[in-house]
Amino acid sequence: MPLWLGMVPFAVAYAVTARGAGLSVWETQLMSLTVFAGASQFAAAGLFAGGASMLGIVSTTFLLNARHLLYGLSLSRSLPLSRAQRLLGAQFLTDEAYGVALVSGSREPGGLSFGYLLGAELSLYAIWNASTLAGALAGSALPSPEALGVGVIFPLAFLMLLVPLVVGPQVIGRLPVVVALASGLGAWGLSQVVPGGLVILLSGVGGALLGAALVGRQGEGA
Amino acid sequence: MNALLVIGLMWAVTYPVRWLGLGLGGLKLPPFWLAFLRFVPVSVFAALVVPDVLGSPEWARRFVACAVGGALMWRSRSLGLGILGGFGAYWAARLAGL
Repeated sequence: MPLWLGMVPFAVAYAVTARGAGLSVWETQLMSLTVFAGASQFAAAGLFAGGASMLGIVSTTFLLNARHLLYGLSLSRSLPLSRAQRLLGAQFLTDEAYGVALVSGSREPGGLSFGYLLGAELSLYAIWNASTLAGALAGSALPSPEALGVGVIFPLAFLMLLVPLVVGPQVIGRLPVVVALASGLGAWGLSQVVPGGLVILLSGVGGALLGAALVGRQGEGA
Repeated sequence: MNALLVIGLMWAVTYPVRWLGLGLGGLKLPPFWLAFLRFVPVSVFAALVVPDVLGSPEWARRFVACAVGGALMWRSRSLGLGILGGFGAYWAARLAGL
């Protein structure tokens, strides 16, 4: 499971950021147990640290996790699930589980099964939560996050998620770069005038609308 | 602000979306909204990174860190290497007095 290697430092970094933002070990862990979505947990930890409003944090979470709708839609086309399987499978669905189920699960004898999906989901869930706990406990023993410079981990981690989306092997064309630049610079401009959570919501929606509009225009031109 | 309430609400806006997706396999979204959903991560991640680098008092160090980390990630596809390399570059810039 090479994916674990990517998850462990991310979960530890999330936990350290969350502890630095003033969340208790229990609150840091609870977020991993319930929300279980790395990027939005990281964003929330950063927003907690920045003193963002509740609305800002929750709306950013919603916006970031809206992509899970796509994973569910895509999976349910190749894997019919019962009501109980949907209720259970939905709690643990992540980018990584979706990727593994789609790529490796379909190569299994008999194709992708609910057992395979749940197995992939739960193994990622276990690693994520164990790493969160380790980071949360170690974080409280570390000196102030500022002295260690861990503030830079937050933009770095998101940059790592962003890079494959804009220059990855499966990316076609330059549209993602255009959207990322427009949204990033737009957010920087907005951040001078409006509070943090709202910046992400406005520029996130704005950037995605721009991308969708440009795709539509390309489609008409072709 | 009550952190437990925020975490509860974060869960409340995450779980139903996952569940809904798994239940709506037959639904066809218009192409515009499929494209919109596809661009949301790019747009949100960029909006999280840029102000946090350029708007920071230590923006020069963070910029060096992101340039090095981003380049490492681009060439290696390794998230761990990108974060560690970027963090190393941050400290190199900091020790160099940037």
